Amino acid sequence: MARDFEPKIIGFLCNWCAYAGGDLAGVMRIQYPPGMRAIRVMCSGMVPPDLVLEALVKGADGVIVMG
Amino acid sequence: MNINLLTLSEITGVAGEAGDFTVTVRKKPRYIDMDKCIACGICAEKCPKLVSDEYNAGTARRKSAYIQYGQTVPLKYAIDPDTCIFIQKGKGKCLACEKFCPTGAINFQDKEELLEFNVGAVILSPGHKSFDPSGIDFYGYKTIPDVLTGLEYERMLSPSGPVRGHLEKPSSGKTPENIAWIQCVGSRNTNQCDNGYCSSVCCMYAMKQALVTETHIPGGGRQTIFFMDMRCHGKEFELYYNYATERGIRFIRARPHTIEPGPGGSGVAMEYFTEDGRKVREEFDLTVLSTGLEAPRDAIDLAEKTGIRLSPYRFAETGGFEPVFSSKEGIYIGGSFAGPMNIPTAVANASAAAGQAARALVSARNTLTKQKTYPPEFNLTGQKPKIGVFVCSCGVNIAATVDVNALVDYAKTLPGVAYAENNLFSCSTDAQKQLADVIRKQNLNRVVIAACSPRTHEPLFQDTLMEQGINGYLVEMANIRNHNAWVHQKNPEQATQKAKDQVRMAVAKAQTLYPLERMEVPVVGRSLVIGGGVAGMSAALGLADQGYDTVLVEHSGELGGNAKNLHTTARGEPIRPMLDKMIRDVQNHPKIDALTNARVLNATGSVGHFESDIEAGGETRRISYGAAVLATGASESVPDEYRYGTDDRVYTHLGFDRLMTETPEKAAAAGSAVFIQCVGSRDEKRPWCSRLCCTHSVKAALDLKEKNPEMDVFILYRDMRTYGLNEDLYTRARNAGVLFIRYDLENKPQVAAEGDDLIVRVFDPVSRKKIAIDTDLLILAAAVVPNNVEELVNIYRCATNQDGFLNEAHPKLRPVDMAADGLFVAGIGAYPKPIGESISQAQAAASRAGAILAQPVMHLDAIKSHVTQYCDGCAICLDACPYDAISITTHAQNGRTAKRVETDKALCKGCGICQAACPKGGILVHGFTIEQLQAQVHAALDLPQAMTAS
Amino acid sequence: MPTGFHLRLPVTGGNPMIQIRIGRLAWQIGVHRNTVGNWIRTGALAARPIAGRRYAIEKNRLIRFLASRGVDEALAAEIAENCEPLRHRKEEEQPKQPPMKTKEVSMSNKTIGSVMVVGGGIASIQASLDLADSGYYVHLVEKNAGIGGRMAQLDKTFPTNDCAM
Repeated sequence: MARDFEPKIIGFLCNWCAYAGGDLAGVMRIQYPPGMRAIRVMCSGMVPPDLVLEALVKGADGVIVMG
Repeated sequence: MNINLLTLSEITGVAGEAGDFTVTVRKKPRYIDMDKCIACGICAEKCPKLVSDEYNAGTARRKSAYIQYGQTVPLKYAIDPDTCIFIQKGKGKCLACEKFCPTGAINFQDKEELLEFNVGAVILSPGHKSFDPSGIDFYGYKTIPDVLTGLEYERMLSPSGPVRGHLEKPSSGKTPENIAWIQCVGSRNTNQCDNGYCSSVCCMYAMKQALVTETHIPGGGRQTIFFMDMRCHGKEFELYYNYATERGIRFIRARPHTIEPGPGGSGVAMEYFTEDGRKVREEFDLTVLSTGLEAPRDAIDLAEKTGIRLSPYRFAETGGFEPVFSSKEGIYIGGSFAGPMNIPTAVANASAAAGQAARALVSARNTLTKQKTYPPEFNLTGQKPKIGVFVCSCGVNIAATVDVNALVDYAKTLPGVAYAENNLFSCSTDAQKQLADVIRKQNLNRVVIAACSPRTHEPLFQDTLMEQGINGYLVEMANIRNHNAWVHQKNPEQATQKAKDQVRMAVAKAQTLYPLERMEVPVVGRSLVIGGGVAGMSAALGLADQGYDTVLVEHSGELGGNAKNLHTTARGEPIRPMLDKMIRDVQNHPKIDALTNARVLNATGSVGHFESDIEAGGETRRISYGAAVLATGASESVPDEYRYGTDDRVYTHLGFDRLMTETPEKAAAAGSAVFIQCVGSRDEKRPWCSRLCCTHSVKAALDLKEKNPEMDVFILYRDMRTYGLNEDLYTRARNAGVLFIRYDLENKPQVAAEGDDLIVRVFDPVSRKKIAIDTDLLILAAAVVPNNVEELVNIYRCATNQDGFLNEAHPKLRPVDMAADGLFVAGIGAYPKPIGESISQAQAAASRAGAILAQPVMHLDAIKSHVTQYCDGCAICLDACPYDAISITTHAQNGRTAKRVETDKALCKGCGICQAACPKGGILVHGFTIEQLQAQVHAALDLPQAMTAS
Repeated sequence: MPTGFHLRLPVTGGNPMIQIRIGRLAWQIGVHRNTVGNWIRTGALAARPIAGRRYAIEKNRLIRFLASRGVDEALAAEIAENCEPLRHRKEEEQPKQPPMKTKEVSMSNKTIGSVMVVGGGIASIQASLDLADSGYYVHLVEKNAGIGGRMAQLDKTFPTNDCAM
């Protein structure tokens, strides 16, 4: 795999914790790679498993569900 | 909207009387205009002055221009005038913040203001101060680098702290592996400091820190806690203690007497004596002093300004039966200003103070509060999405990293986008007006804001839309600041690409948005209180005095509960007269309907509108109510050991209180008395600590000593848990000659009748001998066990913990709310507690319930689950729902009965677990439907979008 | 009768406390303001600071001191005479307070439907929310720049080890 490979990651972030954590990372200017596309959800439990699979099938390099 | 937040302010005086006070407040200059500040942090970045950061307990440094912490409210910067170079040194100096502030918010002309407010009541809840151990030299604090206070260590553990949770030894920067905690630093100590009380929280926080530390050190490290008594007197605290023991946290009952720098100036060397008298020297990488709580620094000042009395420890003086009343009418005490206490107690106390203030001011309710109104909404049915995209530069916060112009141009190319523009600050008042204008002119019906976090700013934009008659749920935000510009500062190209993706995702979702309605439930202004003990009656009085009709349901034949058998409080206030008055007040209150021999048969509905059948005296009646308080109580267990029941010299606490009330001379005639603690508590069968027994026994021992100073009084205990200010009683008892002998669970005392004598044998760990005590009275601290609430748990679909105590919604922050909205818990049905704490908790429950009953209608958030045509009633979601909000119903379909589920909007929290569980899209969450999430996924992967219209 | 721009006050008997300002005094006796400042700092001139960058001193003591530094006694007396007297104890002890702003009109003999909550920690926040929800206007007074108090400093809370935020 090439060194400059930038994976495209779909992130499902719980509104109450992971998404808030992302906000805080911003306030604290913690730098991280820009590969994730965050989707805010009301609870990590609401993410349908099919959608995770669909994302992977349709080209996402990874899916992260945080909550 | 109805809270006026005055930061950097202090009260300077209180005049007037209850109901009509005039309070003067000194508001210090912030030097930053709160309306202009957008919390971009550039002032702090450019400020050259580094100062010690109080928030991080001095372990880190901040700038002179600062915010207190990342999530502070209000999220506005301030300039600290004591350290600011310009303010200190005057003209011509610095002004970096002014120069770089993108919004011109810096205002060095800001002046101190003196404000005056007319208020009906005052609540004092200034909190406490953490004890500063630098005055006690043998702890080595500030002289040995690897000695920290509990608060400093807390900051060190925190991911937002100075080392971001990566532990390090201040002396060397290496990861500490062997950490010790020393308990009771600045507590239970009248020798080096004057804090004779127990701080009540340190045992638990040390244990928590030890357990959290384990996860911060590769391999777990080694944690040791040096203690006098482990005080785990709260709900499930004992379990936590057991868990900590199992996890291998070392608990040593000793106080290190020598604390020195470790070898080479790194680490800490400590000496202590073990219980069996051996001297041990041990080295640790780090020592944490479990510093206690003290009255706030300005307690005396505050007392002088407000005219309230303080206790000798400078906490606010409150009454035993009036736990939130100060000595001055109309001024209430909330939180740890009344004495050291943990978070849930402080939160409950604060609610109780609010409830008492509300009770006193009931005639003026709703006279000064405002409610916002909106114009009627346009009907958007049939309209195609016309999306406006507003890209915020946030000064330079976003624009410095993300190419906002390119972003606007890109947005214009997206399907459904009718308009796009860039704002310097989308959240500013001007931009809001501009947004409203554009919406009107362009006939927009969806809005995408590419700016900061929806968690902080979505309500603002929703509000703007609603003011334009557009449903608030038609706005979507793309967080290109917190989740992008701020975290990819070194990568502007990829950040711009990411921002485009984010906007594309938001636009895709905006296309799928449809108007949502906030459901309104009319609130029934009546309450139900279950349980007629002290807690139930206090709650009923609190609610009735706030003007709400209250039905009180007591299952036994009379009101009063356990208090009928109690003698005095820990402070010696007789309980009976207070109880009699309370019963009279309840029975005579025009708004309280007190039903005895009564029980609740069923319940339907949810917050704002419940209905129940209540059986009382053979009759059943139906009542509706907006909220309910469950004060179901607990009872004293019947001991099955220590000859209880077979020897009439053996009493339980309640039995002994009866003896002291009815025939005190009989108790006084005894030559000796022995108390045994933890009878049926803290063992395998009942793993909880009953909280109130240690204080009760010590108080009873003192009473005996007072009546007959010659009497030999022994208390056999496992850990003395006279928490908080009750520690004074323990000290007094030792001074009065009460003998305390510690025993272990493995080595319990034995009680035998030998001839006419009652002999208690116990191993004394101090003399290391087994001793025999010939006693005339044996008092057992029998465990407090919750009353059986199985029936109610089924009726209200609420929960108890494994011990049978009713559960609260959150153990720290919502100590009297139950998980289901509209239900509250109070008294010893939630956990054993002394009478004052029961009253305070009940008043808190009344306050919280009152806050619901005060609303004419309940507005429920619109992010809720709903059932679609695809539901076939398979009921998978029923078990998945954590809030029991889903039920199954039958309905007629094509002449046949079909099953499908139904959601209770009031119970649903919109978590959407049902949506993920449903195999067929039969249940979805508004605002986060599968289609909407899918649209975002597709947009993220840049797949072609199907134009969707709602 | 008064001369110059100073209002001459009636001479009261004895030795009243008067107020001086460094700048004005320096100008009147023709020395640099730092000289006067140093006199006060070193204690040579026994004046103590009061509100508004003024200093309080006994009238006779000021005259004696100025005379000792070579100021003509008559001028010293006139300077002292023209200083404002110290008005009352309150002003003497407290910094001069900025002008009062009254935000709410007082309604006497009535119950006011608002509550002042002092402190910005978790307890105060809870009390304020409860009261606002119950129909009372709340003024929350916090001495720091933001609310949150002690709990905001905690990393995690037991027994659930939830984040304190």
